[in-house]
Amino acid sequence: MAAPPLLEVRGLSKRFATRTGREPSPWVIQDLSFAVREGEFLTIIGPSGSGKTTLLNMLAQIDTASGGEVRFQAETAPISDPTRLSPGLSCRIGYVTQEDNLLPWRTTLQNVLFPLVVQRRLNDQTRARTEMLIRAVGLAGFESHYPHELSGGMRKRASLIRTLVYDPPVILMDEPFGALDAQTRTQLQEDLLRLWSLGRKTIVFVTHDIAEAIALGDRTLVLSKPPARIAGEHTNPIARPRDVSGIMTHPQFAALYRAIRVEVQ
Amino acid sequence: MATWRQTDSPAPMRQSPAAPSLRARGDQVLVLLVLLAIWQGFSLAFGTYWAGSPWGVATRLTTGLLNGEILRHASYTLLEAVAGFLIGALPAAALPFALRRLPIVTAILDPFMVGGYGAPKLALAPLFILWFGIGIESKIALVAITVFFIVYFSALAGIRALDAKLVQMAQVMGASERDVARHIVFPGAVPYIFTGLRIAMPYSIGGAVIAELISANRGLGYLIQLGAMNFDTTGVFVALVATTCIVFLGNWSVNAVERRLLRWRPPPDLETQVGS
Amino acid sequence: MTSHEAAVDVPEPARSRWRPHVVVAGRIGLAVLLLIAWKVGADAAGPLYAADPVKVFERIVGDTLSGSLLRHIYVTLRLSAIGFAIGCFCGVALPFVLRRLPRLTRAVEPYIMASVGVPKYALVPLFILWFGIDDAPKLWLVGLLVFYPVFIAVFAGIRNVDRRLIAMARVVGASEAAISREVVWNSLLPFFFAALKIALPRAVSAAIIGEFLVGNEGLGYMIEHSRQSFDTTGVFTGVVVATALVLVINAVLERIDRRLNAWRPVERDMQV
Repeated sequence: MAAPPLLEVRGLSKRFATRTGREPSPWVIQDLSFAVREGEFLTIIGPSGSGKTTLLNMLAQIDTASGGEVRFQAETAPISDPTRLSPGLSCRIGYVTQEDNLLPWRTTLQNVLFPLVVQRRLNDQTRARTEMLIRAVGLAGFESHYPHELSGGMRKRASLIRTLVYDPPVILMDEPFGALDAQTRTQLQEDLLRLWSLGRKTIVFVTHDIAEAIALGDRTLVLSKPPARIAGEHTNPIARPRDVSGIMTHPQFAALYRAIRVEVQ
Repeated sequence: MATWRQTDSPAPMRQSPAAPSLRARGDQVLVLLVLLAIWQGFSLAFGTYWAGSPWGVATRLTTGLLNGEILRHASYTLLEAVAGFLIGALPAAALPFALRRLPIVTAILDPFMVGGYGAPKLALAPLFILWFGIGIESKIALVAITVFFIVYFSALAGIRALDAKLVQMAQVMGASERDVARHIVFPGAVPYIFTGLRIAMPYSIGGAVIAELISANRGLGYLIQLGAMNFDTTGVFVALVATTCIVFLGNWSVNAVERRLLRWRPPPDLETQVGS
Repeated sequence: MTSHEAAVDVPEPARSRWRPHVVVAGRIGLAVLLLIAWKVGADAAGPLYAADPVKVFERIVGDTLSGSLLRHIYVTLRLSAIGFAIGCFCGVALPFVLRRLPRLTRAVEPYIMASVGVPKYALVPLFILWFGIDDAPKLWLVGLLVFYPVFIAVFAGIRNVDRRLIAMARVVGASEAAISREVVWNSLLPFFFAALKIALPRAVSAAIIGEFLVGNEGLGYMIEHSRQSFDTTGVFTGVVVATALVLVINAVLERIDRRLNAWRPVERDMQV
C-alpha cells in the first residue's frame, strides 16, 4: 500500500486583493490539485506569469490562499488566515527562491550557517555537514567572502546549500538556476541531483525550461495559463542516475519533450 | 517627507574621481607654496595684525603643542563634541528600532521630528548656556540635540529600507521576531546610520565651538575668542588650525569605523558624494 | 513573478480605515501635552530658567505691536538675503569659471575640499578682527555657509554632466558659452535647487548665530542680549520666533520644490 502523500494540494485557489475595490481581480490559480510523495523529485512547468512563484509562496506559507487546502503530512495547514501563517511550517518546508537572498553582511560560511543559528542547532555535527556541503558545490576556499565578491553562480550555490544545510523534509525551488549561463546551470543541476540522491528529500522544483524539468524530475506537472490549473502530468521514464548534460540525447527524451511542449503551448 | 530625503539612500563614502597624476600633484604642491609665499609676503608688507605669518603661526603652534596648552583646550572641545555626539546619536539610532512595530507612533511623531530637524538648533546655544551655565554641560547638550535629529532620520531611513524578501527568507528558516531584528533589520540599517553619523560629525564639533565662542572659559572656541579680543591674530589662526585638525580627525575616525564595519558593502559606482 | 502580499505583514483593512484619524489625534494630543509640560516646567523651574508660555505669548504680541520684533526679524532676514545672494552667486560662478581651467581646478581641488572641514562659525571672531563690528563679518559668515553647499552641488553637477550631450552640442557647432548655458546648466539644475533648499534656511540660521557674536540688532542679538540681561522671557521669545521663522521658510521651500518638480517622473535626490 502506497504511503499517503507527504504534501497534498486540494482545490487551491488564489487571487490578489483588488486595489480600488471595484472589479474583483482575476484568479491567478484556480482549483489546483496535486500531491507529492515522500522522496519524490517533482518538477512543475508553466509559462511565465502562470503563478508558479505564487504557488510556491503559498506552499511555503508566506502567502495566503483564497481558497482550497494544503495538507502536509496529513495535517491541514491554515493558509487562508494571514495571522495564522507559519512560514516554512516550522522549518519543515525549505524554500530556495529565485533571487539568492543572501544576507549581504554575512560571509558565505555565515550565510550558510544562518538557518542553523536561527534554529539554535549549531554544533560540531551541523558544522561538519555545512563544510561538506560547501565542498560539494565547489565553494571551498570562499567561506570568508562576502556575497558581493561572489559570482552569480556562486551566490546561487550558497543559497542552495543554505536550505540543504538544515535538512527540511520538503524543499521548494523556484527556478533557482534560471539566471545562470548554460554551463553553470548544468553543473548545478548535476550537483543538485547528486546531493539529492544522498538524502532523497522531497523536492518541488519549478522551472520554465522543459529540458531541465525532464533532466531532474521523477514526475512533471504542467500548469496552464492563469487561471492556472494542472494541464498535464507526466511520469518520467528515464532511469537514474541521469546524465544531465546529455539528457537530450536520451532515447526517451524526445517523446516526453513533445508531450510536455504541447501542453505548455 | 522631502525634508529628510537627503539621508534616504546610504550614500557611499566619498570617492575621488581618479588618482591625480604626478603633474597634478606637482601643481598642488606648487599652489601650496605659492599661497604660503603670498601669506608670508603679505605679513612682511602689512604687518602681522591681519593674518599673522606662516612662520609665526607655525612657531606658536609648536610651542602651544609642546607646553600642552593646545592639547588641553583641544581635548576639552573634543570631549564636548564626543560626549554630545554619543548622547545624541545613540537614542536617535535606537528610537526607530524601538518603534519599528508601532508605525502609528512613528507617524504621530513625524511632524515633530521634522520640525526638530528643520529648526535651527544652534540658535538654542544661549538658552542652553542659560540653563547649564558656561561649563561643559551646555556644550554637550547643544551638540546632542543637533546630532539627535540628523541620526534619527538616517536610522529611520535604514529601517524603512528593509528588504521584505530577506525577512521572508529568514522566517521560512524559522527566525523569530528577535532574530529578524537582530540579523536583518539592524545590519541593514547600519549603513544608513553611518551616513547620518558622518553628516552629524562636523556639526558636533561646530556646535561645541559655537557654544564656546559665545561663552566659555576653556576649549578651542574660547581660544579663538580670546585671541580675537586681544587682537592676537596669530593665536586665532593657531586655534583655527587646531580646530580644523580635530574635524579631520573626527572625519577620519568615523570613516575608519565605517570601513571596518561595512566591509561587506559592494563598492559603489563612480559617484560623487557631496558633504557639507 | 513576485508575490504582492507578504501575508505576515498585511494589516487588517478595518484597522487602516481608522488610522489617519488616530494619527492626527495623536499629533494634536502630543502638541497639547508638550504645551502643558512647558507650562508645568516653567512653573517648577522658576522665572530665571524658564519662561511661562503665556508671558512669552504676551511678549511676542507686545513686541510685534511696538514694532521692535518686526525690526529684529527684518534685520536678520535682510542679512540672510544679502549673504545668500553673494554666496549663491559665487557658488554658481566659480565652478563655471573653473570648468574652463581644468589644470587649475585639479591643482586647487584638494584645498577647497579641505577647507570644507574648517568650521565656518569658528571664523567669525577672525572676521570681526578683519572687518569690524558691523554687518560685514556676519555677511561673510552667511556667504560662506551658503557658498559651500551651492559650490559643491554645482561643481559636482558640472562634473557629472553627460559627456555625450556636450560632444553632441560641439558637433552641432555650439560655442563654449552656449554649451555652458544649454547643456551644463540644465543638467545641474535639480542639484542646484536641492542645494538651495538647504542653503536658504542655513543662511537665516547663520545670520542669527552671527548676531549672537556681534551687532546690536536682529533676532540673534535679541536672544543673546536677553540672556545677558537675565531676561529669560526674552530668550524664549527670541528662540520661539527664530524657530518659527526657519520652519516657515522650510515649509515654503518644500511647497515650491514640490510644485517645481511635479512634472518629474524620476526624482533625483542628491546628497548635499
